[in-house]
Amino acid sequence: MAALTTTTTASRAAVLPGVLRNRSAGKLLLLAVAAAILVPLLNARWGSGSWPHALTVDLSAPLARTSDWIIDNRDSHPLFLYFFGHLSNAVVLSVRAVYLVLLAAGWAGVTVAAGLLAWRTAGMRLALATTAAFLACGLLGMWVPTMQTLALMVVAVLASVALGAVLGLAAGLSDRTYRALRPVLDTMQVFPAFAYLLPVVLVFGIGVPAAVFATVVYAAPPMARLTALGLRDADKEVLEAVESLGTTARQRLLTARLPLARRELLLGLNQTIMMALSMAVIASVIGGGGLGDRVYQALASVDVGAALAAGIPIVLLAVVLDRVTGAAGERPGPGGRAGWAYAAGVTVAVALAVRLLGRPDWPASWTVPIAAPVNRAVDWMTAHLYTGVPYVGGTADWAARFTTWVLDPVRAGLQWLPWWSVLLVVAALAWLIGTWRTALTAVLAMAATGVLGVWKPSLDTLSQVLAAVAVTLVLGLATGIAAARSDRLERLLRPVLDVFQTLPQFVYLIPVVALFGVGRAPAVAAAIVYAFPAVVRITAQGLRQVDPAALESARSLGATSGQQLRQVQLPLARPALLLAVNQGVVLVLAVVIIGGLVGGGALGYDVVFGLAQGDLATGLVAGAAIVCLGLMLDRVTQPTGHHPKKGA
Amino acid sequence: MSTDASSTSVRTEVDTPVFSVAGLWKVFGPKAERVPADPELAALSAAELRERTGCTAAIRDVGFDVRKGEVFVIMGLSGSGKSTLVRCLTRLIEPTAGTLAIDGEDVRAMDKARLRELRRHRAAMVFQHFGLLPHRTVLDNVAYGLEIQGVGRAERRERAAAFVAKVGLEGMEQRRPAQLSGGQRQRVGLARALAVDPEVLLFDEPFSALDPLIRRDMQEEVVRLHREEGRTMVFVTHDLSEALKLGDRIALMRDGRLVQLGTPEEIVGSPADDYVRAFVRDVPREQVVTVRTAMRAASAEETADGPALPPDATVAEAIEAVARTGSPARVMDEGRCLGVVDHDRLLRVVAGTEQGPGRRAPEAGQRPERHDKAA
Amino acid sequence: MAVSTFGVSRRTALTAAVAALTLTTGCGAADMTRQASPFAGARGAKTVTLSVQSWVGAQANVAVAQYLLEHELGYRVDTVQVDEVPAWDALSQGRVDAILEDWGHPDQVKRYVEDKGTITRGGDLGVTGHIGWYVPTYFARQHPEVTDWKNLNAYASHLRTAESGGKGQLLDGSPSYVTNDKALVKNLKLNYQVVFSGSEAAQITQIKQFAKERKPFLTYWYAPQWLFEKVPMTEVELPPYTKGCDADATKVACAYPHTPLQKYLNTDFAKNGGKAATFLKKFRWTTQDQNEVALLIADQKLTPTEAAMRWVDNHTSTWRAWTR
Repeated sequence: MAALTTTTTASRAAVLPGVLRNRSAGKLLLLAVAAAILVPLLNARWGSGSWPHALTVDLSAPLARTSDWIIDNRDSHPLFLYFFGHLSNAVVLSVRAVYLVLLAAGWAGVTVAAGLLAWRTAGMRLALATTAAFLACGLLGMWVPTMQTLALMVVAVLASVALGAVLGLAAGLSDRTYRALRPVLDTMQVFPAFAYLLPVVLVFGIGVPAAVFATVVYAAPPMARLTALGLRDADKEVLEAVESLGTTARQRLLTARLPLARRELLLGLNQTIMMALSMAVIASVIGGGGLGDRVYQALASVDVGAALAAGIPIVLLAVVLDRVTGAAGERPGPGGRAGWAYAAGVTVAVALAVRLLGRPDWPASWTVPIAAPVNRAVDWMTAHLYTGVPYVGGTADWAARFTTWVLDPVRAGLQWLPWWSVLLVVAALAWLIGTWRTALTAVLAMAATGVLGVWKPSLDTLSQVLAAVAVTLVLGLATGIAAARSDRLERLLRPVLDVFQTLPQFVYLIPVVALFGVGRAPAVAAAIVYAFPAVVRITAQGLRQVDPAALESARSLGATSGQQLRQVQLPLARPALLLAVNQGVVLVLAVVIIGGLVGGGALGYDVVFGLAQGDLATGLVAGAAIVCLGLMLDRVTQPTGHHPKKGA
Repeated sequence: MSTDASSTSVRTEVDTPVFSVAGLWKVFGPKAERVPADPELAALSAAELRERTGCTAAIRDVGFDVRKGEVFVIMGLSGSGKSTLVRCLTRLIEPTAGTLAIDGEDVRAMDKARLRELRRHRAAMVFQHFGLLPHRTVLDNVAYGLEIQGVGRAERRERAAAFVAKVGLEGMEQRRPAQLSGGQRQRVGLARALAVDPEVLLFDEPFSALDPLIRRDMQEEVVRLHREEGRTMVFVTHDLSEALKLGDRIALMRDGRLVQLGTPEEIVGSPADDYVRAFVRDVPREQVVTVRTAMRAASAEETADGPALPPDATVAEAIEAVARTGSPARVMDEGRCLGVVDHDRLLRVVAGTEQGPGRRAPEAGQRPERHDKAA
Repeated sequence: MAVSTFGVSRRTALTAAVAALTLTTGCGAADMTRQASPFAGARGAKTVTLSVQSWVGAQANVAVAQYLLEHELGYRVDTVQVDEVPAWDALSQGRVDAILEDWGHPDQVKRYVEDKGTITRGGDLGVTGHIGWYVPTYFARQHPEVTDWKNLNAYASHLRTAESGGKGQLLDGSPSYVTNDKALVKNLKLNYQVVFSGSEAAQITQIKQFAKERKPFLTYWYAPQWLFEKVPMTEVELPPYTKGCDADATKVACAYPHTPLQKYLNTDFAKNGGKAATFLKKFRWTTQDQNEVALLIADQKLTPTEAAMRWVDNHTSTWRAWTR
């Protein structure tokens, strides 16, 4: 029996790659021919070292002029007075309004309101969890920053949802808009958050408005995508039935299309909230205030404990918001009005009661200082792990070896390669996995980094990404496979993964420096820590979703569990595994950039430098290069089968 | 031909037809309108047409009338164009060419508002997969058509409740579609269509997603409704027995063309071509063919006695009567003897060797409506 | 009915939106350079917003100023962490009322103080700042010659790390700090690689790790800084600073100057800020004072408020002069 399975699968395995090989070989051959013609020409014209200087465009002078012009005219030019000024004003006023309401409700009012909201939308268990999370924020002494972040979040999420929904509606109802918008939205999702900061700072200056706008731009795309998806994927026959009853277009939208897209809309809300939260933290770099600012300030005094005290509320907020909006999507619909009225009544009553008692602020004596013990723990850890651990060596030694043996050779290799050969490799990879369009986008994106004059730092960043992705994938896929095969392991992992996915990257930058020193190694380590959970999760999910019938038939043929994994689960979960690679790459890039704060250098440093020095020319060019790099990496790892075709 | 008139004689054929369709085309694909316009293209087979133009013709030059009060069945296998055809009637799918009128009013010329009016009040449809709104209760689904029309909340709920009761779903008003069985969902779909009190009900394979037993219940439900209300119905199905059971007249479609149009008896008794013949081969003919068709002229003594049967009685009923009495049965219409059926005649029907009411000429299949108008 | 309901609700929503927009934005021009932080003055108190730079010395200034403003003068203080150059922009816009410690930004002074007049000088902080290259004192004792830049190349091999490759490592700090190090290394023909730690936090962590193992290192650093108390460091002498030797950023080949640190106030705030503005103009203390508070914060991990309280309790005579 076992022999039979192996022969059949073996023969299929022989056939499939054969077909693939042929098609791939054709593409490669074509590319080789093109290269054989083009390369000598390019070589003769521009040489074969690093990116030729003749092909760069120096943007620093015009960008610096633009930046100067904006600063000089921000208080006088009509564009700012009558447009951006009003936008900025509206943001300040609405954030302030929300903030004042939150403060007026007092800690008890807000906690009770949050709990009741969770109860109405997601049930009792999550209501308790929500209440506990808010109380924890207070206990950690972070009540006011939490309210500031919440106020900013409320405004940013509402704006993102409104913007996303409008775009999504347009794309969901019109094919042409959808075709135009989809690549833009897809692409925006792969951009690292850091790249969004500079343009908004340029226009709005440092402060809450800039933070809100950066957050909106970052968080609106998922809402738009999912709204469009929900509207487009609605049950055709229901729509037809509704049309057959003589509905107007607006009735159709309001009574059928939108209600039918409820799940997607709520999923969009969920993703928007999560992205807004992560951006609201990163936006502390541009004056967003709130919890992110506390983390950032704690970092300045290398106070991991204080950073964690501000980081934990962020994680709690994230987990609670994620679960509550997720649960709301699973439920058929909001309950009766009486429940809501009751919830609102209780909230007002509690808020008033606390107000009358004169304790609207979180009592200062009710805080638990966790900073000191955490710092002791971190000190102990670094003291014992940093170096001189018997046999395995300390973390510093690992970092040094990783830098010398992996990062340096990869970087040197990439920078040694002639510029055209880098483009050629990119083209080949992208074409093998996608269409010629994919290849063209990827090559143009890579070439753009050269044109912008940041070829070398881009390759430096790329080398860090490659190293980090390799490690992430090895660890992540192994853990994911293990988690898919053991329920207990998955249950154990889940909260850990949740925390690491939502913990602001800033929080673990310092421990990684303490463990791995300054340089590229800690940047890579932080990137691995950040991307690892997503890879594990997608891998485990993909493996678990493999058609049970296929597995059952394999088992009935007597396949061992190893054979099942190799011959059934892994091949069938291939799309999920590819997605894991893609997500891994995108997430790693995002953190490698933030690694500029711990000596990662390259493009990340340039962005940090641009922000810190107000040198927008350097920052924007680096930001644009990061965007190009992200685009290239996404295209090279995203198979074209990504959007499954519809119909039978 | 005479059979036609008599089988629908109770209805008044002097009325304008509910739907009047002629030369209707629906072509999908680039520049579809050139296909019906060009006789050369119009004559091509499906494969050739796709090759030449990249277009697919779902409906080709179809014409028929739906009379007031009848159950008009459109039958065909999947891909024959029947579902497209029924959607063209209210322009859920826009026809490419041809004329289409409801009560003499040109449907293709209607503007948006007028078309909405048509869909709201004159024709309501029941769908194969029910097309219910999952987020609404049964009652609100049934009331949906009224809500669209702007009927007030209390009134539409009251009216909807009556229809929920009518289709036998009392007590389930507050459930959601997901909590119902397939048959119950289709009852909701039926009630929704009935609630707007349309002039004509359109059914698009309404029962093909249901279990056989439930399907029979639902078919009987439709028969009952038709008997009680006499509403005009257009019924699309791929199931021949369903078509024979429900249809006053059946239009048989193949590859977008109308192959034959006639009463169940005509379809079974005198198939227009080999396709139809193959189609109806397994149908028990004695269940469909009437004694009016099977009878012969009666001799003088035969008119006097023997069991009496109405002209619409099936051969199966006649066999039962003849077997019981042992003598030929008389076909009586308002006290007048039209003819008799004896063992020989009846056996011929069962064996399929009788001379039917005029085997149709080949072209009859092509343009069956001409035949109808003559009748 | 349903139709009309849709219609009404839509019209109402539109009206409400327009009304809200009009109310929130008002008509006419909106100068966003005159907007305060939305979190400022939430309780109706007079509010002062201070910029905190990322280093602890600056935190110490702000902590003490904040404590005195809140407890002695009845203000409410908001702090915003902004890097130096953006802080100038924020100060000009009025989103920040004062910067208490500026290390010298001639471009910004020209633009905002001299040309636009949106920022006013607030006088000396009383602390003199100096940037330089430092080696740990334990290393300088063993190898006294290393404290002269001319001998640095001889020690490059001692100072090599994985990150610097074959060259010696010069550890540089946050990108927000004033630095000429890349040009210096090049123009002084030193066999060193400048490694940017990207943030001061990362740099301090790294220095502490080196010190714990008593490894040699060469770093960009500045005084006054609390870290000197934890890790004693000796300055490496660079070619002496002369006025104007750092004019061309690419040709610099001299040491960094000694800078009397400055305070700057938003012009409107300086005029209309009342007691708070007067207090901030008078705020002036010594390097020792600042270091004392900075150490409490950074090393003993006191919160800035606690650290400020402790200093204020012990130095009443110093700050009495500011609040009067």
